[in-house]
Amino acid sequence: MPRVFAVLRRPIRFAPPAAIALGIALAPRPARAEEGRPEAEPLDVVVIGAPGSTRAPAAQSTVVEADKFKGEVRSVAEMLSTSPGVSVHALGGPGQATTLSLRGASADQSLVLLDGIPLHGPGGGAVDLATLPAALLDRLVISRGVLGAQFGAGALGGVVELVPVRPRGDRLQGETRLSAGSFGTYGASGSVAAPWSDEGKGVFAVQLDRTGGAFPYDQQLTPEIAGAPYYEFTRENADAWRASTLLRAASPIGSDTEVDLLFQGSFGERGLPGPATNPTPRSREQDGSAMLGARVRGSAGPAAISVRAWGDLDLIELRGVSAFGDCEDGTPDCPRSHQSASALRGELEAGGPLGDRQWLRGTVLGGTDRASGDETGLHRRGVFSASVSDDVRLGAVSLFPAVRIDLVGHDAGVSPAIAATLKPWDEPIELRAGAGISFRAPTFSELYLQQGGLAPNPDLAPEHARSVDAGVTWRTRQLTLSAGAFASWYHDLIVYELFPPAAVKPFNVGSARILGLELQAVASLPLGLTAELAYTALQSTNTRPGALEGHSLPYRPPHRLFVRIAHHAGRFESYAEGNATASMPRNQFDTAFLPAQLLLNAGVGARVAGPLWIDLDAKNLLNDRTLEDLSQYPLPGFSLAVVARARL
Amino acid sequence: MNRTRILALLSLLACGKGAAPPQDHIALPPGAQLKPFDPTKPGEARPLYTAQLGGRVYVTLSNARAQGNFVVTAGPGFLGGIDPFAGTVDLIDLGGSDEHQCTNPGVVRADAGKLYVACSGDFSGTTPGRGVFEVDPATKAVSRGLVTPEGIVPSGVAVTAGKIWLGDSITPQLVSIDRTTFTAADGADAGHPAIPVPCPSTGQFPFVPYVGIVNGDLYALCATTEAGVLGRFDAQTGAAKGSVAVGAQPTEFAATGDGRIAVVNSNENTLTLVTPGAQLSAQLALTFSSSTSTLQDVKARGNLLYTVASGSNTVQKIDLAAAGGPKVVAEANTGTGSNPFNLEALDDDTVVVVNYATSDVVSRSLKTVQ
Repeated sequence: MPRVFAVLRRPIRFAPPAAIALGIALAPRPARAEEGRPEAEPLDVVVIGAPGSTRAPAAQSTVVEADKFKGEVRSVAEMLSTSPGVSVHALGGPGQATTLSLRGASADQSLVLLDGIPLHGPGGGAVDLATLPAALLDRLVISRGVLGAQFGAGALGGVVELVPVRPRGDRLQGETRLSAGSFGTYGASGSVAAPWSDEGKGVFAVQLDRTGGAFPYDQQLTPEIAGAPYYEFTRENADAWRASTLLRAASPIGSDTEVDLLFQGSFGERGLPGPATNPTPRSREQDGSAMLGARVRGSAGPAAISVRAWGDLDLIELRGVSAFGDCEDGTPDCPRSHQSASALRGELEAGGPLGDRQWLRGTVLGGTDRASGDETGLHRRGVFSASVSDDVRLGAVSLFPAVRIDLVGHDAGVSPAIAATLKPWDEPIELRAGAGISFRAPTFSELYLQQGGLAPNPDLAPEHARSVDAGVTWRTRQLTLSAGAFASWYHDLIVYELFPPAAVKPFNVGSARILGLELQAVASLPLGLTAELAYTALQSTNTRPGALEGHSLPYRPPHRLFVRIAHHAGRFESYAEGNATASMPRNQFDTAFLPAQLLLNAGVGARVAGPLWIDLDAKNLLNDRTLEDLSQYPLPGFSLAVVARARL
Repeated sequence: MNRTRILALLSLLACGKGAAPPQDHIALPPGAQLKPFDPTKPGEARPLYTAQLGGRVYVTLSNARAQGNFVVTAGPGFLGGIDPFAGTVDLIDLGGSDEHQCTNPGVVRADAGKLYVACSGDFSGTTPGRGVFEVDPATKAVSRGLVTPEGIVPSGVAVTAGKIWLGDSITPQLVSIDRTTFTAADGADAGHPAIPVPCPSTGQFPFVPYVGIVNGDLYALCATTEAGVLGRFDAQTGAAKGSVAVGAQPTEFAATGDGRIAVVNSNENTLTLVTPGAQLSAQLALTFSSSTSTLQDVKARGNLLYTVASGSNTVQKIDLAAAGGPKVVAEANTGTGSNPFNLEALDDDTVVVVNYATSDVVSRSLKTVQ
């Protein structure tokens, strides 16, 4: 074991065993979970030692290993959809904007982190999952609940931690993957991992994607008439391409110190096809993002210290977008619209034992956020936070209290949380419970965006949420079962209201209650089979006093079920899965609904020569071409892709 | 050919001539013909509200263009006088001598051979371009007009023998104009205050989207994002005569043949039927399909209603007397990306629809199919 990591792993020994068990309990693949973290993977200073959230070790979490989808064409959103508590909001087919909802929270209320660094959209709000490169990820950790104390303001529904690919082993390694499929969809990705000294390692990865997007779909033109015929249309201006890269390197710089660097960049363009009823064939979007982070980690006696700095920049340019839909790019009344956002942060984190039953850690973070755009102007705000958390072991009980103070511009808030785990018997069962309170500061877009009928409101206050949850996990080598329930209450929600005579404007007037049940099962079956199940029940209720009170919140599916069975042997692999989403309301009055959807996917692959695998991946086997997303954008019917991949 | 066949053919020809169908499609005049303020930047017709008079369909033309994500007024407001059978469009300039007298015309009403148009100006309530204007279709010109008091953005027109009532898009209130003298009446000054409109107790920023006269009473909608109220008033004095809750964000209403009032509720995707009496009562009559969206207009013809759904590009015919209650009995699509805004029923089975996004007029058959 390299000496740096011998030091850095020291905190693991102090971590309460209950927390370690919990961290791996919900890993979909128990066998891999037991492997622990690969040695060369950059870690947060205080870690639990197994896949799972390191910052919220007792949170209800799910780990999605990206590796198991290598033979499939999967976006980040599709991988997240395999977890309970997740709802993905897509605007059309592949490559189109996609946002995330955790436990019924809005996209702005769910944080997405890449290697621990928070990502954000150009307006400072929701992250577009379609811009994230799936092939550059090692795994995705979904932690659910109000986790502001652990991750900072904004984590009201939960957090998705994207863990980038890592070097594997101590020799030069490579991996490549090519795919081609329906609707002119192609992909290529590759990575090279190389050691350059005894303990220094790096990985460089690239992903290229392109889709023609011209898929057929069926639509009724007179939906009020029973049995009205469906007409076939072809989606136009839904093409997209994207290039992404990742560079990650880690090297010791002293006996007990390591430095690691991370760069991730992405650039892409896509058509903005608009809803099927009002298409926008001339609207386009270009976006780019870059993130650079550097971290130095070391130890001082039993304590571990990490200093990290990072910055990111997001740019977006809209072309051919007009108040009436689309327009001819380059004409006088059709100016291009620009928006950018950037963040700079510095973070100091330290942790150490407090007696032999506690591990105390603290974090101080500061920086600035900036947003600039034709329709927002230039705005900056300072960001500061300080947090303290403790891991306390009291026999069979482990406690995880945490508190964090966040200052975001003029908004300030305290986010306390506590979680506990209990391993009451000498059985593979664990009980857990948690509670948290936090807030979300308004985004730059909500505060300042003036665009057509959208009016800004610089007087907005933060949204607030609190939640409690509890769960039980049964875990053996062959079977992991977990069940959890939660209740969340939101108030001061930012809601866009009609602002007569001709605008809508955001106000802090909403409130909601969301109750949920989350079930997950992972079973290792004979003959190399693995079965997975994820189920979410959600009851989201508008509690804003008035006419909306008691109605369901729109766009929250009351039931969602994901089932997958996969087989992997030495030369063959296959999978079949189903993703069922119950009908959900499309408006706030329970008078318009998105129909229930059932997606069946399947794939088969074989190692045809040496390390070369060829896979066939089929989606939407029922060829349902009437599927729509939440905004009534059509979704593709049956599609087929061929994937060739090799790991050297 | 036997005699029966000859008679049948003659009969068919006669009927066909007598019921000549309206033009399928009529393009509204391009922006260059709408006197753009900047000749290099013409707008488009962008039709909104309609009224029928003398065999023609009159439509307000907002004459707008897009500048990026903003809608800009490109020129004066116009009325288009459409002959749906001949396919011709007469333009009536509402702009006055300086072409700024009326901008962004909205609701138009026909009464006693005249047309009355509410103009919103730039929606601020403080600049020229807002007011109500009387148009003589015979001369194709504005005959009288009045700038509305400062702070008011007219949003609807209801015409009685003595007064012309206007709703307010900013504040939930009504103002009136003496029809004889064309001078401000209610809302003119502190001594003649505007008439407050009862509004929902929930939702922010209530406003009046539409007003009208039904059975001699004045009715006004008050809307918020999440609720709506239909208020009844004395049409001469403005005295309140009750109100009733309707659906969320109602947009327009129409008097039905059986004496009720049909209200379309845009946000809720529903149709409410209000029964006038000593008290107003309302019942949910219909919830539209989930694929139907952004209900904008409702017109009545006896027991038949005609509705427009802008978001789904559809128009519907609803039979109020259908077994089991009000039912959509016919529907037509106005074209992808058309954004229909208003319609006029020419007979029970034929409507003329104005499309905002495509700045055109189409006719559709709505023969009962279910």
